[in-house]
Amino acid sequence: MRLPVCATYDLPMGGGASDGDLFERVRAGDAQAWDALYDRLGGRVFAVARSHRLSREDAEDVCQVAWNRLLTHLHTIREPECVGAWLAATARNESLRLLKRSGRQVPTGDAFEFEGPDEIAPPVDARLLATERQKAVWDALAQLRPACQRLLRLRMAGFSYQEICELLDVPAGSIGPTQRRCLEQLRKRLTGMEREAEVAP
Amino acid sequence: MTAGGVFKDPIGEEEKVLARLRLAGELDAPPASLGHAVKAAFSLRALDAELAALTYDSAQDERSLAGVRDAAEPSRFLTFEAPALTVEVEATPDGDTRRLVGQLTPPVPGPLIISHAAGTVSVELDPFGRFSADGVAPGPISVHCEAAAVTTEWVII
Repeated sequence: MRLPVCATYDLPMGGGASDGDLFERVRAGDAQAWDALYDRLGGRVFAVARSHRLSREDAEDVCQVAWNRLLTHLHTIREPECVGAWLAATARNESLRLLKRSGRQVPTGDAFEFEGPDEIAPPVDARLLATERQKAVWDALAQLRPACQRLLRLRMAGFSYQEICELLDVPAGSIGPTQRRCLEQLRKRLTGMEREAEVAP
Repeated sequence: MTAGGVFKDPIGEEEKVLARLRLAGELDAPPASLGHAVKAAFSLRALDAELAALTYDSAQDERSLAGVRDAAEPSRFLTFEAPALTVEVEATPDGDTRRLVGQLTPPVPGPLIISHAAGTVSVELDPFGRFSADGVAPGPISVHCEAAAVTTEWVII
């Protein structure tokens, strides 16, 4: 199946409904399809807000607006396959509005050079149940510069490199070197942390 | 690893780090409350309502921002417009909640339904189309006017 550029989300194993199929069913009033669409894309939309270093509470507000806005625009979205990109872009815009409204730093020129007020970290209760390997990734991530944190937070949620370029409205290819450096820095820190852990008694 | 800090096997190494990132990402999944609210919103959506788009937001207005950035949270003015109805809302912080005061132009009979993250509240409209609501929780809201079959865009207050 040939999908538009924007519909690069993972299709279910063995085929199944595409984003566009689900969205068409939602348009026809299918509540189960709506639930399935949320289950598929909810984590990504949340990650967009979190990548702006919004707190989980602020990110939840942003997501509520994005999903509710989808409901009010059900019949005006031209490319059903692009519903994920539409939601991500809406969450990005709402995140920027929230940052601007609260007088926090907002991007100027370089889409990477800004940060929200909150640390990039998972909630405390999730940490309690996490594996050491999972926690190490977050600890290493917290040591990287904000631009890397933002980029890698999006990669965490499964955004492809191309989708991130579209979301940040930068030419495809322009953040390739940045991404490679960010991944390399993350890997180095992880290796360093794990070597220390081995040496420790 | 070369001295330049480049992966010796770029694709394989990158894929491994990306796979670990994705596993770690599970720790910061959206809260269950968000999923419940979003899923419930589908059956609550206003069918056949016309959308009133947000056309003015004092919080995004450079002129007003310049003057009030230092002030403690000021009132916020929002204007939503549908072809046949304008909804103006002033949201004022009141402790941990928001007080909403607003007006519909032209005036229409009530009630007016204010949807927010935790549910809905119904308020009366006076003969001039004015309304007020106290104790609205901060977060996303939308205003629905049944008589005019108009729903506003969602905004975070």
